[in-house]
Amino acid sequence: MKFLTTNFVKCSVKSCDSTTDSFPLGYDNCKLVQTEQEFKPDFILSILERLDWNALIQVAKDLGNESLPPVKPEGELLQNEDLLKDLHTLLIETTIIEGEMICNNCKHVYYIKNSIPNFLLPPHLA
Amino acid sequence: MLPTPIVSADFNKVYEPSEDSFLLLDSFEKDKELLNKQFFKTPIVLEIGTGSGIITTFIHKHILPNGLFLTTDLNPHACKTCLETSLLNDGTQFLDTIQTNLTDSIRSNLIDILIFNPPYVPDEIVPEIPQNDDDSYEWLDLALLGGEDGMIVTNVLLDNLDNILSSNGIAYILFCARNKPLQVVQKMKERGWNYELVMNRKTGEDLSVYKFQRS
Repeated sequence: MKFLTTNFVKCSVKSCDSTTDSFPLGYDNCKLVQTEQEFKPDFILSILERLDWNALIQVAKDLGNESLPPVKPEGELLQNEDLLKDLHTLLIETTIIEGEMICNNCKHVYYIKNSIPNFLLPPHLA
Repeated sequence: MLPTPIVSADFNKVYEPSEDSFLLLDSFEKDKELLNKQFFKTPIVLEIGTGSGIITTFIHKHILPNGLFLTTDLNPHACKTCLETSLLNDGTQFLDTIQTNLTDSIRSNLIDILIFNPPYVPDEIVPEIPQNDDDSYEWLDLALLGGEDGMIVTNVLLDNLDNILSSNGIAYILFCARNKPLQVVQKMKERGWNYELVMNRKTGEDLSVYKFQRS
């Protein structure tokens, strides 16, 4: 699961949807791998508009990265190619191949194995 | 006609691309220009129940090369195969596959283009999720059987569509005649959704792809 996808996934438990704690999930014991990908600045720019920046900062912190700017880059900052390259490296090239995702509301733990996150719930929670 | 992606998988565990899959490929070929006009930036594309991944791979390769692709499936073998199919066809800029039920673990109002080839075959039941990864035929049943009118699973999705799609999002959904699609789309219309028949094909089965967008 690519780092960017942490900005798209939440707890599967329906009753957690009404809280603000089911997104982003907490990330723990993660094994990360960097894979080289072609740098496409336009892709980063248009995806940036769709990101929940605070969630991104929180997950990055879980994974030991505290280098993100505190607010989402806008305007002239977006012409800074180094910044876009850094985002490319973090969002697209960083893959979580193993790890745990914890809902901060219900505390259910989901697992990532072989880069695939599993959000299926046990029968008593589904 | 755009070439069909190469798929190599264990079809005892993962749904083998068939007429329904190919009708969806043709539907996207038909809408290619329209989709590129509407989503000129990076659309977020989600395919539910991706199976072999043939549809997502086709859309990335031939229709929306700049898209960001997410797929879901209940079946762990399908999740794995979807990634393999993408790689077998030169890979994507961005594809992640998520093992989940429908869109249960996907953030709300995120998806620009949704694709669903549901378990549409009418049956007495919708099968339970197998507890054992190796129960291959049970995984295949799950990809096929849709309970009463073959609509039990599709109805769950349609009821939640407003929560899934972004403000100008579109959903492409496949139906067979026994799903009574004309009644379904009429009901969606009453609930504020525009619909359009993208394609219909009668080959053995009578299959249709409809798209839905907020009116």
